[in-house]
Amino acid sequence: MHRTEDVLATLSMIRQYKLDVRTVTMGIDLQPCAAPDLSTLCDRIRERLVHYSGRLRAVCREVEGRYGIPIVNRRIAVSPIGWVAAGQRTEGLLAIARTLDAVAAEVGVDLVGGFSALVQKGWTEAERRLIASLPEVLSTTERVCASVNVGTTAAGINMDAILALGHVLKETAERTRDHDGFGCAKLVIFANAPSDNPFMAGAFHGPGEPDCVINIGVSGPGVVKAAVEDLVTHSHTGPTLGDIAEEIKSTAFRVTRVGELIGREVAARLGVSFGIVDLSLAPTPQVGDSVGEILQAMGVVRIGAPGSTAALALLNDAVKKGGSFASSSVGGLSGAFVAVSEDAALARAVEAGDLTLAKLEAMTAVCSVGLDMIAVPGETDAETLAALIADRSPSA
Amino acid sequence: MPKYIISVTAADRVGIVYSVTGALLDLGGNILELSQTVMRGYFTIILEVEFPVTHSASQLADTILDRGKRFDPQVLVTEVRNESLKPAVPSGERFILTVLGDDAPGIIHGIAGCLAAHGVNIVDLHARLDAARFSMVMEAMIPQDLTPETIRSELERCGRDNKIEAYVQHENIFLATTEPGPVRVGPAVRTQGDALASH
Repeated sequence: MHRTEDVLATLSMIRQYKLDVRTVTMGIDLQPCAAPDLSTLCDRIRERLVHYSGRLRAVCREVEGRYGIPIVNRRIAVSPIGWVAAGQRTEGLLAIARTLDAVAAEVGVDLVGGFSALVQKGWTEAERRLIASLPEVLSTTERVCASVNVGTTAAGINMDAILALGHVLKETAERTRDHDGFGCAKLVIFANAPSDNPFMAGAFHGPGEPDCVINIGVSGPGVVKAAVEDLVTHSHTGPTLGDIAEEIKSTAFRVTRVGELIGREVAARLGVSFGIVDLSLAPTPQVGDSVGEILQAMGVVRIGAPGSTAALALLNDAVKKGGSFASSSVGGLSGAFVAVSEDAALARAVEAGDLTLAKLEAMTAVCSVGLDMIAVPGETDAETLAALIADRSPSA
Repeated sequence: MPKYIISVTAADRVGIVYSVTGALLDLGGNILELSQTVMRGYFTIILEVEFPVTHSASQLADTILDRGKRFDPQVLVTEVRNESLKPAVPSGERFILTVLGDDAPGIIHGIAGCLAAHGVNIVDLHARLDAARFSMVMEAMIPQDLTPETIRSELERCGRDNKIEAYVQHENIFLATTEPGPVRVGPAVRTQGDALASH
């Protein structure tokens, strides 16, 4: 028998506070598709993607209906195309990107990630060409997402790649200037990239992964904010920081468990492996679905003021601890996205001058996720962009 | 051995369970299952009890009434005559149905009628009123050939006069979010199955 209070509490997380499964991301290994002939390679990629993901959309709908929890996005992450396209010239890379874009539309996923290169220690000729092709790929395809890993703790940082990416960002913004430079939003530059991250644009099916896997991204800033607000409202003396951390942990537990349940059910129905659940607080522009508003509920009146970094660190730590208790399959980024243009409270703080790039750099050093969705002036040169990336890389 | 379903109700006081179970023990009864609750100050208990010898329903009721007369209970006893005569419960999976809406006489009756018409068996039900807002949480067995969405939309259609919102969710989501044990996944429908693994 279920307690009525428990049922209503879980239901209110979904009804009122926008708890959802942000993404069911199917990771697919494309390395068996390798072929010297471009046409054969593209045919094999298409066939393999359709084989694994053809029923993804229908199964997600079934599971969504069974548990009454919205699955907002269905996505595919593929092996880094820098590996798959070894030996291909630029035309080959563009053809692969168009193939990925077309299959994504065909099987009903909104984004496909993995047009990627892992170049932390050095780059192959194919990876160098892939990076050079990014402005064209990101400006001429709709659903293809790209990422480049430029550093790892073990290998250090590839500064040549970072400089190249400064130019890629500049050119991509220029090519998509009629769409607010949106091409850049489909590119992530990583250090220590996780190989099982389900969130876009940085998802790819990295080394050590099976043929096909279901990874889950759950979010829920609104749920965490509501829990903190409720705690503050019902506390006579005001909660301690320890009380706030405990409340966030127990909320993170519930959210993570929802993600694991959905992931295991989708994977079982498709007959593929379940991978990980990534609980990352990912804001949307809707009011109430904001990481910034959580910080405000915790008592940070003006985001960016002294104390903001500490509050974000507390939030991130409590989310991770709650997630770890909930599931032994936690992976991906599992952090808090400080995505300025997607978070109403953060955007207001930037407009008010409270939140600066320097403060964002400090805050993102403690939340497992980097500088994200920040609009910079169009006249910013490629070298400056590269320097910003380089500044942020050592703390990733 | 003979079995009986016994229900006892009374205004709630300390010691009722002690009194009822004492009366049953005096007659050699062994309790097989028990459910008890207190609703708005009123105590209710229902038990399945097995005895080494047959007793009449009135003998059992009188024993409970005598021992608990200070509680002024009401007792109902029904003999379980034959296992095969137990009511047939439709098969299906266990879902949690939550209904929220404006309160009005007949709302539970209407919802129960809607569920019965679709062969949905209610196995547990709690309803309450907060201000004028009605909420009802049910555990129910939904037949395999019905989708949760079908039941949900039927409930909202039946309760449209009371502006009800209905939610139909498999119980595993509530087990996952409230219990620390391993996440349980329901029987999966594999239409392609292992074919995917061998590509």
